[in-house]
Amino acid sequence: MFDSLNRRNLLKYGAATGVGAAMAGFWTRPVRAADAALNVFCPLPPDPAPPGAAEFAKEAFAKWQADHAASVTYEKLGWSQLHDRMATAFASGSAPWDIIYNCGWVPEFQSFLAPYADQLPKDVVDDLPPSSFKTVTIDAKRYGAVFTLSLLTLFYNREHLEKVGLKEAPKDWAEFKAYAKELTGGGRYGLVFNYGDPAGIGGTASYWMVFLQQAGGKMYGEDRMPVFNNAAGVDALQMMVDLMAWTDPGSISYANINDATNVLLSGRASMMMNWPFMWNTANDPNQSQIVGKVSSAVLPAGPAGTASIDGTDAWTVAKASKNQDKARELIEFYLSPEVQKRQVLDTGWLPIRLSVLADPEVQAKAPNAAVVLEQAKHPYDSFVTPDYNEVTVAVGTQVQQALQGQKTAAQAMADAHDAVVAIVKRRG
Amino acid sequence: MIWTFEQRRRRAGLLFVAPGLLLLAAILGFPIVDSLLLSLQRVQLTGDQVSHSWVGLANFERLATDAVFWKAAFNTAYFAVMEVLLVSLISLGIALLLRHPMGNSSLFRIMLIVPWAIAPVANAVLWKWILNANYGILNGILVSLGVIDFNHVWLGSPFSALNFLLIVDVWKSVPFVALLMLAGLQRVPQSLYRAAYMDGAGPFQSFMHVTLPSMRGILAIAIILQTIWSLRVFDLVFVLTRGGPADATVLMNFLAYRVTFNFLDLGYGSAIANVIFALTLLIAALYVWLLWPREPGGRR
Repeated sequence: MFDSLNRRNLLKYGAATGVGAAMAGFWTRPVRAADAALNVFCPLPPDPAPPGAAEFAKEAFAKWQADHAASVTYEKLGWSQLHDRMATAFASGSAPWDIIYNCGWVPEFQSFLAPYADQLPKDVVDDLPPSSFKTVTIDAKRYGAVFTLSLLTLFYNREHLEKVGLKEAPKDWAEFKAYAKELTGGGRYGLVFNYGDPAGIGGTASYWMVFLQQAGGKMYGEDRMPVFNNAAGVDALQMMVDLMAWTDPGSISYANINDATNVLLSGRASMMMNWPFMWNTANDPNQSQIVGKVSSAVLPAGPAGTASIDGTDAWTVAKASKNQDKARELIEFYLSPEVQKRQVLDTGWLPIRLSVLADPEVQAKAPNAAVVLEQAKHPYDSFVTPDYNEVTVAVGTQVQQALQGQKTAAQAMADAHDAVVAIVKRRG
Repeated sequence: MIWTFEQRRRRAGLLFVAPGLLLLAAILGFPIVDSLLLSLQRVQLTGDQVSHSWVGLANFERLATDAVFWKAAFNTAYFAVMEVLLVSLISLGIALLLRHPMGNSSLFRIMLIVPWAIAPVANAVLWKWILNANYGILNGILVSLGVIDFNHVWLGSPFSALNFLLIVDVWKSVPFVALLMLAGLQRVPQSLYRAAYMDGAGPFQSFMHVTLPSMRGILAIAIILQTIWSLRVFDLVFVLTRGGPADATVLMNFLAYRVTFNFLDLGYGSAIANVIFALTLLIAALYVWLLWPREPGGRR
């Protein structure tokens, strides 16, 4: 066959191979005509992905499909591309999904979603933290169900702390600064953040929202206008500015959480705020140089106590879906105790069901679960609105300027306030 | 009506190219017109559909008072001017080296083309690792050579971040322009150099009075193409800085993307995109004018 290998034959064989591959897929396609075909839009692992998209609960997932005469296909995208893919799909009227992952975008895409979560069984709803519905509830209708308890908490290198004589995590802002200062030196920094991207949950603005709530402030008043240009807003930003002296200076250029996580995992920083998935990553020898040295704790308290933000990872159902009931059933499967337990044991993403969080096996495998539960007793508002991205870019950009010393905290807050007022007014 | 041969020939030609023209109109014309119409509307995602309301020139008026747009425009202008200057000068230098007998090896040309051949996003990711403030190879090399004492945050300050984006884009753009200029250099008749030599011209005078005038057309084309490409830079900003820190590296193309897809302000995003389109069209027109065949008398 290869005796006569030339360009023409190469093209011919290539085309034949392509056709063969395509036909193989055609003949072996597992969907039966009577099956309901569900299309799920979700993030790529290691971000929170469901069974079948991530490596967990595979047998249970296959059984669910067989039992429910349904076939599930996943469209997986990198987390940073999810929002834009959804936006273009909805704007062009060609969103092909039944179930859609959402992360703080429910208010923005509300008109394309069905309020299916009102129909979730009572035993499921009763086993979820009531506050988990806050970011997916609009006009008293529940458009989604959060499937992982994902709050920012403090992760720290226990060995670094012990070397400088510190026994436990910082409890308040004063200790936070003192610890950061103490831990900085010898090519290492006390803290690392990802301040490079101002936008979205996990962006620069959302870190400021953490400090804002710890300072006793909030983003919006009852009239939905911004109310953060006050002492709490300025104190929150000033705290971030003060911490910069002992923060990895690269933080201002790290555009996503993985950039900052890598610094902590390489032992070049001692503390960071991160999501619960970090626990497994930090204890994986293939990814971490600090295996067995990481602990987590509730975030240090500000004048108003501790506070965090919510990752708001939720499953929603498309209003245009022709299989809304089946889609809801699939989400119920994702939320079932067995799947939730495998989710945390195999991927590190905590469950949202309180009964699973209390499971001894889960607590042994994910000691940070108790910390996140404790953090959840305190405020964790992510202040999501239909224009969340625009607002966080406006605020995050001002925060970045203050962190770089281009503006005072007070000036940055005043400018951020003006920008958000303009955005909210334009929203109408 | 009697058709002459020439008329029949022209009509047949028109019929043959009509499908192609229609296809081009559909592929190019529709998005352009649609984008222009979008820029005259306020577009919102409401009630499971996209609602449009005509706002006239309001989106373009908003541009005039939008500080971020002007920052992006200034950044883009700086980026374009510096990129064209650097790429043109470096490429000309490389082309001259490649034409030299010692540099006339195909190995050098293959090596030269590598940065240009790397996929844009892969190129950006590569540089993201090189420039990483904590474990980037640039810091590693400079520290080990004693050039710097501690790791620098190359993408951390507004000036540095914008200029590193520039350097990365220059690195990627130089190969193509260098090869373009090499082709131009090889077209300069050797007899001109011999005549200049006979007239007593040295290497520098030959370069100034023979090489450069002979390459005027190629240089103009390279400058125009590079200007158009510099207006389109997006992937580097998206991967390396996301427009930060503090909007210091927001270029117009990135701003159009951010407003359209992140903020879902499709009308205003289209207005920004149309400004870029108008600028590109102007420069492209200049390009076509330069390439248009000249009649012997110099008329076009």
